Amino acid sequence: MRHASFIARTVFVHNNDVETACRVLNRILGREGILDQFRRTRYFEKPFQFRRRINFERCKAIYNEDMDRKIKFVLRKNRTDPFPGSS
Amino acid sequence: MLRRHLISFANTLFSVDKNVSNIVRAIHSSSQNCREVTDRKQMLRSLPTADEGTAGEKVLDVDSILHTRADTFPTLETPNKLFNGVPFMNIPIFNIRVSPNNTIISFTDAKGVPKMIRSCGIEGFKNTRKGTNIAAQATAITIGTKILERGIKTVRVRVRGLGPGRMSAIKGLQMAGLEIISITD
Repeated sequence: MRHASFIARTVFVHNNDVETACRVLNRILGREGILDQFRRTRYFEKPFQFRRRINFERCKAIYNEDMDRKIKFVLRKNRTDPFPGSS
Repeated sequence: MLRRHLISFANTLFSVDKNVSNIVRAIHSSSQNCREVTDRKQMLRSLPTADEGTAGEKVLDVDSILHTRADTFPTLETPNKLFNGVPFMNIPIFNIRVSPNNTIISFTDAKGVPKMIRSCGIEGFKNTRKGTNIAAQATAITIGTKILERGIKTVRVRVRGLGPGRMSAIKGLQMAGLEIISITD
């Protein structure tokens, strides 16, 4: 994928600390999904693999959304009703 | 009579001792390493993950670094910013092409005209050994010292691809004495 070279995906090195700069760069690339995309597109992804991956990602998104809601519910604070469900 | 008793007592002691030693053996932590692995999945899980050279991809504490220093990332003025008296856009470039089986380092000027090229294969590493981080580091050190002899000290680095040489090649350039000002993917 083309991008503005030396403007995008660039990290400056401070005090000759190359390792930290490298890690920052890798972390950003990993979080943005660029590395995953790179690994995936190196070889042709067969249609059945594509279907399976999309289905899996869909299921995972639904699960994560539900789980987030659940965690938020369990950890909620400042209840207006101190004893929910008992009125 | 007493003597027979003593002998039997000693025997029981001995057997107890043996039992104890067996028990001790059973809870020893080294028995973890001797466990039988029959399943392929289980075997793969017990192996260490392959080094792809992307250290820090899943590290969370890097996120805090991102916001502490404002000058970590380039801005609109970056191309004209001076580094040792030379604007950023005129600083020569090291291109590092990393693959799982090899590392190729080429030195170009700011416009992208190649000046020197060196790979792990040229360096003398052959076959599987080309794709190791040690080979990448050795290659980077040799090309780095050669460039340093030409009187060039500040460089910027552009890496491409994933492989064991990704990090160690950059480290090798630094060990050669070059001053790396930026890393680009």
